[in-house]
Amino acid sequence: MTAIPAIREIPARGRNTYDPAVVRADFPILSRTVYNKPLRFLDNGASAQKPQSVLDALQNSYASEYANVHRGAHFLSGAATEAYEGVREKAAGLLNAPGPDNIVFTKNVTESINLVACSWADAHLSAGDEIVITEMEHHANIVPWQLLRDRKGIVLKIAPVEDDGSFVLERFAALLTEGTKLVSVTHVSNVLGTAVPVAEVTRLAKDAGACVLIDGAQGVVHQPVDVQAIGCDFYAFTGHKLYGPTGVGILYGRTDRLAEMPPWQGGGDMIDTVSFEKTVYADPPMRFEAGTPPFVQAIGLGAAIDYVQALGMDAIGAHEHALCAHAMETLRDVPGVRPVGEAPDKAAIVSFVVDGLHSLDVGAILDRQGVAVRVGHHCAQPLMARMGIESTVRASMALYNTTEEIDALAAGIRHAQKLLG
Amino acid sequence: MDLSVYEDYAETLEALDDEMRFEYLLDIAKKKRSEPFPEEAMDDAHLMHGCMSRVWILHDVADDRHYFCGHSDAAIVKGLVAMMTDSFSGLTTAELAQITLDHVRRLNLGALTTQRQVGMMAMLKHIQKLAGARPGIQAA
Repeated sequence: MTAIPAIREIPARGRNTYDPAVVRADFPILSRTVYNKPLRFLDNGASAQKPQSVLDALQNSYASEYANVHRGAHFLSGAATEAYEGVREKAAGLLNAPGPDNIVFTKNVTESINLVACSWADAHLSAGDEIVITEMEHHANIVPWQLLRDRKGIVLKIAPVEDDGSFVLERFAALLTEGTKLVSVTHVSNVLGTAVPVAEVTRLAKDAGACVLIDGAQGVVHQPVDVQAIGCDFYAFTGHKLYGPTGVGILYGRTDRLAEMPPWQGGGDMIDTVSFEKTVYADPPMRFEAGTPPFVQAIGLGAAIDYVQALGMDAIGAHEHALCAHAMETLRDVPGVRPVGEAPDKAAIVSFVVDGLHSLDVGAILDRQGVAVRVGHHCAQPLMARMGIESTVRASMALYNTTEEIDALAAGIRHAQKLLG
Repeated sequence: MDLSVYEDYAETLEALDDEMRFEYLLDIAKKKRSEPFPEEAMDDAHLMHGCMSRVWILHDVADDRHYFCGHSDAAIVKGLVAMMTDSFSGLTTAELAQITLDHVRRLNLGALTTQRQVGMMAMLKHIQKLAGARPGIQAA
């Protein structure tokens, strides 16, 4: 296994080098084989693997601290509530949000965006108001706005991406008008890896008087995020892509925005008082969390946040940046491979097509070599249409990947070309 | 009913190890290059929806027997389509209705992923539908 050179000191783990071989040992699944070959997991953009500490947190929660949160007059409910509410503070810390009350638990980014669409946007936007998104959005940041368009008659405007996948700020800015009420953009494209300059986007949007939502599904996993420095109103991310469990996501909301939002789902936990005549809703964030929340999953997410923060998001980002550069260089050396998304500012997501081969075939043959990638349109069909392709093969890297795995990917592609040629 | 082509495929697959089965499937796809699928039939009317790659199926009836041929833009799927259409062509409506998911499973044998097994089952339903051999569903 090729060692990655030292990047920076990681005091929390008592190490002074970022050694993926050591990090990998924290992830039990990475030691397994598939088809008698070592697993090379490069499908992290879809969902990342879990470190032992996350698995232990889930086990501990169910085995030792399990009871429903917020409502029991007993020890276990108190312990579960404390652990669950503690994750709000951890998530606030990860995003540098002002405090835990800015953190709403959801089930994923999709639900976070739908929450903003159904609550804030539904209450504050009317016919003719404009929402700006980009050509490289995931369907989760397209369809909720189309539903709103159909309900309220808002106008959806699409900021373009360049042929190489770059996002040009001036072209985005040209779409902003007095009618722009919301800008909802991805932090990092799940297909192209393009990192959107979200602070500049937010500044321009704010100058136009618009609210800003950032889809951080692929953003928060690759770099440090500071929502106050960005200045956005909302930032959404999901637990399972950040080495945590499925079923739990986060919506950060600025205090004043959350305060002006009506509930979007009714039920237990989101109320102060209920009578048949009148219900008084709870303050944010509880106002948006009807019913028993995924508190065990949230506790697992808390362990995942602890894990990445101990490694350091800067160190993770630097490691992945080096991996991405190696991947781009390696893939360019394979004849017939065309990268899709070569923006200068790019996170560790590498999409490509192979001349004459269907992505599905390439993915299936890579799978036989133990290399796990995603193939298809990646829930971004409008982007596929923009790039003039139907699908890509996507290798998305995580904190535990190695240059050896990238080399195995390249070898696998050559093998596919040989088999299918 | 005559399932000799199906039996040939199933027996060949059974004799091969996992890795060989995969290459066998690709070989089937390559062999089909000599029987090009009509360009004009690669349209929406013949498209089978719900696949990760595009799959087109042509259906014909002669002497009350159904004949199918198919195509996909992905080689692996093309191999799977070929096995299915070769195996189950020449059957009557009543015979086609007796083909079950167990038949499909024998053509899969774990050589391929669960996802593709689901795709093959969808393919079976599709050709049964084309032939009017699914209960309650008439041929278009």
